Amino acid sequence: MAPPRTYRCEALTLKHIPIGETDLLVTFFTRDQGKLRAVAKGARRSNSKLVGHMEPLTQAALSFARGRTLDYVVQVQTIESFGALKGDLDSISRGFYVAELVDGFGSDNGANEPLFNLAIETLHAISGDAEFELPLRCFDLQLLGVSGLKPELYRCVECRQKLLPDRHRFSPGLGGAVCLDCRPPEANILPLSVQVLKLLRLLDRSRPGSLPALRMSDNLIRDLRGLLEVTLEYWLDFQIRSNSFMEQLHRESQSAVYT
Amino acid sequence: MNMGPLPAASPSLARLVQELHKLPGIGPKSAQRLAYHLIRTSEDEALALADAIAGVKRNIVFCQQCQNLTDSSPCSICNEPRRNSGQLCVVEDPLDVLAIERTHCYTGLYHVLHGVISPLNGVRPDDLKLKELFQRVGGGHVEELVIATNPTLEGEATAMYIRRNLAGMDLKITHLARGLPVGGSLEYSDDQTLTRAFQGRQEL
Repeated sequence: MAPPRTYRCEALTLKHIPIGETDLLVTFFTRDQGKLRAVAKGARRSNSKLVGHMEPLTQAALSFARGRTLDYVVQVQTIESFGALKGDLDSISRGFYVAELVDGFGSDNGANEPLFNLAIETLHAISGDAEFELPLRCFDLQLLGVSGLKPELYRCVECRQKLLPDRHRFSPGLGGAVCLDCRPPEANILPLSVQVLKLLRLLDRSRPGSLPALRMSDNLIRDLRGLLEVTLEYWLDFQIRSNSFMEQLHRESQSAVYT
Repeated sequence: MNMGPLPAASPSLARLVQELHKLPGIGPKSAQRLAYHLIRTSEDEALALADAIAGVKRNIVFCQQCQNLTDSSPCSICNEPRRNSGQLCVVEDPLDVLAIERTHCYTGLYHVLHGVISPLNGVRPDDLKLKELFQRVGGGHVEELVIATNPTLEGEATAMYIRRNLAGMDLKITHLARGLPVGGSLEYSDDQTLTRAFQGRQEL
């Protein structure tokens, strides 16, 4: 039996590019079908019924019609527009970061509901909240987990010995922590302090939306962020572009404060 | 058995199709249709198109003031003495200047950014004509900056970035009203548009 010509799903809009005279080619991450690219016909017209609902970082219920190469958006109803997140430039830059990573780790037509739920929960957690660092780092680690790339944090990936609370090393390529006794022939090995290891274990057991309030030093934040960034980029095989925008905003706000 | 692609009947035709295919929105079929259309048109018409493309590439420059595309710098809008030089309207693209000019309701000057901040598409603030904007505003002649970027997430991010970088300057910064379009429908409006339409409601 032929599949139905239309179908419904819930999705988070990740990005769009203009095509044709008034259309958009939209990249969604859907709850039950993974990443999906579809055409929103006429969505660039100001009086289109689709306009506004197709904006990046919008959670919506959609109906699609099957096309020969790409499907078409026929109906949309916004579920959550994340207005608080979109009202602040720094929050928007963090939202772009979440969207870029979901786009990078999500696969076409590969359902990954945990990834969908993680993205929505993270966007809620970083909306209008001054504390964003830990939710974003929790998102980074949980993202690796729901993508089947969870790093090993409790045993050495080489000798499988249980890791004692001490200084260790970390290898994105080998998939986790390496004890000081092992010497794997792996070029990309990072230092892993006991504080960062403990923080990673805490994030491993937590969710971005329900993290305890922690006071962390700037050095600890920098080390944690650096380690996760290298790991994410190792698996993505490209540089996270929204990171440089976030860093630029941070630099500019610091120079504005001190000049 | 896969024999590989068949040799093109005409290498020059294949090259034309290949070049047309590079244009935005032109797929391989459209490129073929356009190429065959150009073959069927008279030589004068085809050469007029080639000459127009060559002329644009030779003559078009950025206006040193507004950064719009023009044959001569400063452009005709920046050179117009009746324009209000205290008002500066910031737009994303040259086509937005044409759209605003069609309304005959704005008499100030423009500044064209040539895009919006879009990290997901690899567009950073440094890729836009923002440095030129900040230098122009820093010159001190601008009293009002009207930000007319599109009401998209990237457009809003760009507007916020401009506002943040000009904070503290003796300057009125406004942006175009947000809300329902003429001919639109409340039923199909998204939450953000409706919220802003309510916030910007006016007394009848």
